[in-house]
Amino acid sequence: MTYIEAQGILNKAKELKTEGFDLLLSIFAQETAENIECIYHFCSTINNQEIILKTKLDKNNPRIESISSLYKTADWNERETFDLFGVEFLNHPNLKRILLPNDWKGHPLRKDYKQDDERLSWNER
Amino acid sequence: MAINNGLKVILTSVDWVYNWAHSNSLWPLTFATSCCGIEMISTSAASYDIARFGSEVFRATPRQADLIITAGTITHKMAPALVRLYEQMPEPKYVMAMGACTITGGMFENDSYSVVRGVDRLIPVDIFIPGCPPRPEALLDGLIQLQKKIRTETLADRKKYLEVHKPRVKLPEDDSEILLAVEGIEIMQWGIQDKALPLDNIEMVKR
Repeated sequence: MTYIEAQGILNKAKELKTEGFDLLLSIFAQETAENIECIYHFCSTINNQEIILKTKLDKNNPRIESISSLYKTADWNERETFDLFGVEFLNHPNLKRILLPNDWKGHPLRKDYKQDDERLSWNER
Repeated sequence: MAINNGLKVILTSVDWVYNWAHSNSLWPLTFATSCCGIEMISTSAASYDIARFGSEVFRATPRQADLIITAGTITHKMAPALVRLYEQMPEPKYVMAMGACTITGGMFENDSYSVVRGVDRLIPVDIFIPGCPPRPEALLDGLIQLQKKIRTETLADRKKYLEVHKPRVKLPEDDSEILLAVEGIEIMQWGIQDKALPLDNIEMVKR
């Protein structure tokens, strides 16, 4: 597990791909007290190795370069991370919501998320 | 009066034949959104054999189905699809809410942002089958109860039936995916009183 700078993710992913890490297992995020951390799991089916990369992003404006040009799996994983955490992936081909309705308000796995959508008042407890 | 009574007698025998045929060939729609679906499949397989009650043909299209068994959690993303499927089914149509998730939201009821708290907020439900998930025997029991309910219907009350069996939300006309409630339908909300309770009172209840 290593922390890397957010700007270097695309180069690092390219490097890993040439080293034999041919499978991207998951991309997700977690919210800590200071940052939003974006977590990448890479796997090498050739050498039987796994590596976890973490990047620290600004909480108010989380942005990171998309790696969907290298790994096709990243497309939907990045859409999920955008949907639930609001991390913006730059140069993503189709960055829109994947799990929630397309006109949902807010990003529900953020700590400061509050559900106050008036349209869904019929669904209160 | 005599003519009216005569009509009723004729209708009763028509009703009996109609209900007998209808209740013994309830074709369910293949609609399984999570683990309750496994029990539904098990019910249709050899050891429980839903075919004994005339429901062996799980239709893959709503246009050939009489019954929708909502087997599994319904999220806000899935809700428009469910309402659309329900609207596409031909009359008369019935709904069985199978499992805790479709009755109240189940274990997601407390603080989930994405789960619909009971399928009866979307479409009218005829039979509730509790359990998480219910065993195949429970599903068969629900089916028998529904058959009993169908046998009490008459064609004369058709209008009342159509009035009751309307969806409780409307599909959006633009490309929005969030459903809005139909005005004038009351929704039972069970958690509001608990929210108003101060924390001390809750502790007292615990003691």
